[in-house]
Amino acid sequence: MGKQVLTTCPYCGSGCQLYLNVENGKIVSSTPANGRTNEGNLCLKGHYGWDYLNDPQILTKRLTKPQIRKNGVLEEVEWDEAINYTAKRLNEIKEKYGPDSIMGTGCARGSGNEANFVMQKFMRAAVGTNNIDHCARVCHAPSVAGLQYSLGSGAMSISIPEIEDTKLLFVIGYNPAESHPIMARRIVKAKQKGAKIIVADPRITETARISDMHLQLKGGSNLALVQAMGNVIIAEGMVDQKFVDDHTLGYEEYKKTVEKYTPEYVESICHLPAETIRQAAREYAKAERAAILWGMGVCQFGQAVDVVKGLASLALLTGNFGGPSMGVGPVRGQNNVQGGCDMGALPNCYSGYQNVTDDAAREKFEKAWGVKLPKENGIPLTQVPHHVLDVKDEKKRLHAYYIFGEDPGQSDPDLHDMREALDKLDFVIMQDIYMNKTGLKADVILPATAWGEHDGVYSSADRGFQRIRKAVEPKGDLKTDWEIICLVSTAMGYPMSYKNTKEIWDEMRSLTPSFYGATYEKMEELGCVQWPCRDESMEDKGTPYLHKGGIFAHPNGKANFFATEWRAPGEIEDVEYPFTLSTVREVGHYSVRTMTGNCRTLTNLEDEPGWIQMSLEDCKKLNLKQSELIRVNSRRGSVITRVMPTERVKTGATYMTYQWWIGACNELTVPYLDPVSNTPESKYCAINLEKIDDQVWAEKQVKDSYESIRKNMGINTAEKGCRI
Amino acid sequence: MNYFVKGNPDLCIGCRTCMIGCVVAHEGVKIFQMKPGEYVFNPKLDIIKTATITMPVQCKHCENPACMNVCAVGAIQMSDNAVMISPDKCIGCKTCMIACPYGAIDMVVSSDGKKQLDGSERVVANKCDLCTGIEGGPACIRVCPTAALKLVTEEAVETSVSNKRTAAAISLAQVKEY
Repeated sequence: MGKQVLTTCPYCGSGCQLYLNVENGKIVSSTPANGRTNEGNLCLKGHYGWDYLNDPQILTKRLTKPQIRKNGVLEEVEWDEAINYTAKRLNEIKEKYGPDSIMGTGCARGSGNEANFVMQKFMRAAVGTNNIDHCARVCHAPSVAGLQYSLGSGAMSISIPEIEDTKLLFVIGYNPAESHPIMARRIVKAKQKGAKIIVADPRITETARISDMHLQLKGGSNLALVQAMGNVIIAEGMVDQKFVDDHTLGYEEYKKTVEKYTPEYVESICHLPAETIRQAAREYAKAERAAILWGMGVCQFGQAVDVVKGLASLALLTGNFGGPSMGVGPVRGQNNVQGGCDMGALPNCYSGYQNVTDDAAREKFEKAWGVKLPKENGIPLTQVPHHVLDVKDEKKRLHAYYIFGEDPGQSDPDLHDMREALDKLDFVIMQDIYMNKTGLKADVILPATAWGEHDGVYSSADRGFQRIRKAVEPKGDLKTDWEIICLVSTAMGYPMSYKNTKEIWDEMRSLTPSFYGATYEKMEELGCVQWPCRDESMEDKGTPYLHKGGIFAHPNGKANFFATEWRAPGEIEDVEYPFTLSTVREVGHYSVRTMTGNCRTLTNLEDEPGWIQMSLEDCKKLNLKQSELIRVNSRRGSVITRVMPTERVKTGATYMTYQWWIGACNELTVPYLDPVSNTPESKYCAINLEKIDDQVWAEKQVKDSYESIRKNMGINTAEKGCRI
Repeated sequence: MNYFVKGNPDLCIGCRTCMIGCVVAHEGVKIFQMKPGEYVFNPKLDIIKTATITMPVQCKHCENPACMNVCAVGAIQMSDNAVMISPDKCIGCKTCMIACPYGAIDMVVSSDGKKQLDGSERVVANKCDLCTGIEGGPACIRVCPTAALKLVTEEAVETSVSNKRTAAAISLAQVKEY
C-alpha cells in the first residue's frame, strides 16, 4: 500500500510544497501540493527531481558507508572508527595550532536548519572558532551585508505571493525563469494583472522578453545605472520627502554622491541611452507600489554590496517600504540558503543574526552552551584558499576543513586554488550524500541521509519556515547530519545529543527571539511561518512583509542611504581575451548536479558538457554552428563546451551554465572578490574562443572525460544499461 | 474537428517541464525504476526561443494533414479528434517529417522496444498524440507551472468564435453610416 508524504521541495528557495508518493519503500512520483508560494504548481525539478533518491548512478554514486583515507586510498570503515578518527585528528590540530586553524561549513541544501544550527554550535562551542560559513558567501552574501546596513535585515522584505499584486517590478540581474520558475509564474501573473515590468539585464531573459522596458545594459555597470536612477528621481522632484524625512538617515550625503551620476554621465558605462534611464526612473518612482527583485546578476560582482545598498536606496527614495507588494527581494537561490544564514552558519553571527561581537548575545549563548565562545569574526568561505596557501605562519594557517554538504572542489570560484588548498590542508572531512570532487581530496568521508530520508525545517527565500518530512528509509549505513556532528562533538569532549530535530529546533528558538514563535506545532498548523515570529501563541502567525509602517530593523528604526563611486569589473576584455564570460543557470539542474545530475529525466533533457551562449554575429565571425564543440580559455583555465547561437545575447558577451563538470566554467572565472562580502565576480571575466577543427576528436574527448568522471565517482560504467 | 494544444508565449517561461511531462506520460513512471539507458526519451513537443518569443511547438492535428496524405503505408490516421501515428505500421521513411509545415514530427527510436529483423533499433515517426488514452488528458497542460498550454477543442473554438461575433455585432452597431 502506498503513502503520500507532504514535504518542501529541495531545490530552489521558492519553498514549493509537494507530496512524495511512496510505494514499497520507493518514491514513484511527486504531486504538487497547495503551498503558500506554489499554489499547486511545480517546475520540472519539483516534478522529477526526487529521482536521485533511487540512486540511478548517472553522474556519481551514493555514499553508503563511512570511509577513511589509508595510505592514500579511501577505505570503508565502521562509524565508530570514522568518528573517533575524525575527533582525534581535529583535537590534535586544535591542540597544536589553536581552534582558529579549523574551518567548517554549513549546508544550504538538503540537511535543513537543525543540522546547520548544530554545526555552528559545534564549530563555536566544541572547536572554539567562528570559522564557519557556507555557500551563501558565493551567492547572496552581498544582499545580506548590504540590506543589513541599509534596512537592518538582510532578507526579502516582500513575500513571494505579494509579487503578483505589485504595480511595478524592477527586475535587475535576475532570471527567475531559470532559477525560480515558480517566482517567474508570479511575475507572469503580475504582468497579466497589469503591473509594469522593467528589466535590467545584459541578456534577453524570459522576464525581459515580456517586460515593458528592457535595459540591456553592459555587464558590470549595475551601480552606475542604479545611481543614475536615483539621480533622476531627485533631479525631477519625485522623492517621497516625507518618507525620507521620517524614516531614513544619510539622504544629504546620498544626494551629493549621486549628483554626478546623471544619465548622460553613465551612458557610456551602461551602454544605454540617457533617455531610457530617465524613463525607467520615472516609471519606478511614479508607481503606486513597486518591488525590486535581484539575483546573482547583482551579487556575483566585485562591487555587489554597493549595488544592493543602491537598490535599497531607490526603494527608500520612493517610499516603497511599509506595506505589502513593495520593497526589496533578493531572491535566495538554494532551498535553504536562507536557512543556513538564519541558523548562524556565518562567520559573524549566531542564529537570528545575533552578532558574535555583541557581548550580550555572546554571553547568552555561552550560558546556554556552558563554554566560553570566541569573540572575533571567523574566516569567510572564499578566503579559505588564501588562509591555506598564502599564510606563511603555521600557527595562523588553516589546517583542517570540515566540509558539510558542500562541494568547494567544484562550486567555489577559481577551482585551481581551491584544489591546491584541499591538497595542502592537513585534514579534510567531507560529509555528504553523494561522492563529489571534494570527496576525492577528503581524508574522511561521513555519509549522511538526504532530503526525503530525514525530518527538519527549511527557510524559503521569503523567510518562510516549512517542514520537510522523511518519506523513505535511507539505503546504506547512513546517519542524519546532526547525529554525525553530535557524535564527533561528543568524541572531541563536548557532548551533544538530541532525540530529534524538534529538540534542536526548540533549543534554537529559546536562544533566538525573532524565531521564538515559530514552533513545530505552528508550522504543522499553518504550513508555513515567516519570520520574525516572536510569540508562541497562535495569534502571532509570522510576518509576510518586513518594515511595516516604515519602521526598520535597526535599533533606531531608521534606514540608511548609501551611494559610492562605480568601479569597473576586475578583469576587462582585451586583445588576447576579447570576449566577456558570465556564468548563468540551467533550469533543470541544480548547483553541482550531485542531485539533478542523478535524476534520469532531468539528465535526458540536458547533460554534459553544457553550453556557451553566443550572439549570432560572433558565431558567424568565428564560423561556429549550433551544438559544435568549442574550446574556451581564460587566464586561469580551459574547458570544452557546446556552442548555442542565440539572438538573446549581445555581441562580445558570452554566457555559460555553471552546472557542468566537463564544461566547468568555474575553471575560467576570476577570484576577484567584493571587499565587504567576499563574493566572487562570477559574472564577469575575459575569455577567448578557439574553434576545434576536429569535431570527432572533440566529441570523443567529451565522452571519455564523462566516463572518467563517472568512474572516479564510483560508478561501474561497464554495467549494461548504464548511460553513454 | 481535431483538437490541438496551443502554447501562449505571454505565459510560457521556457522551463521545459512540459517536455519531461510528455515523456513520463507516454513511457510511464516505470522509467524511474529502469536503468538510465534502458528507456527512450522522446518528447513530442519542443520549446522554441527567439529574441521575442518563447513557446512550445507541437502537432496541430490538421484537418487535412500533409503527413497523413503523404504516408505511403497508411501509418497515419485520424481518430478521436486527433491525427495519430501507428508506430507498428511506420517504416521510418521520413516523408511525413518533411511534409509537416510545423516541424512537429521527428524520427526516434521506437519506445515499444520492438526491433528490426536483424536486431537493430526501429526508428519511427514521433509527434503529439494529445495523450489519447492517457488518464487526465495532455500531460504538458497538466504539468505546466504557468498554465501556458491549453487544449483547443471544438466547443472552445465555437464559444470563442461566438463571443467574438457578439462583440463584433455590438461594436458594429455603433456605426450608423459610413
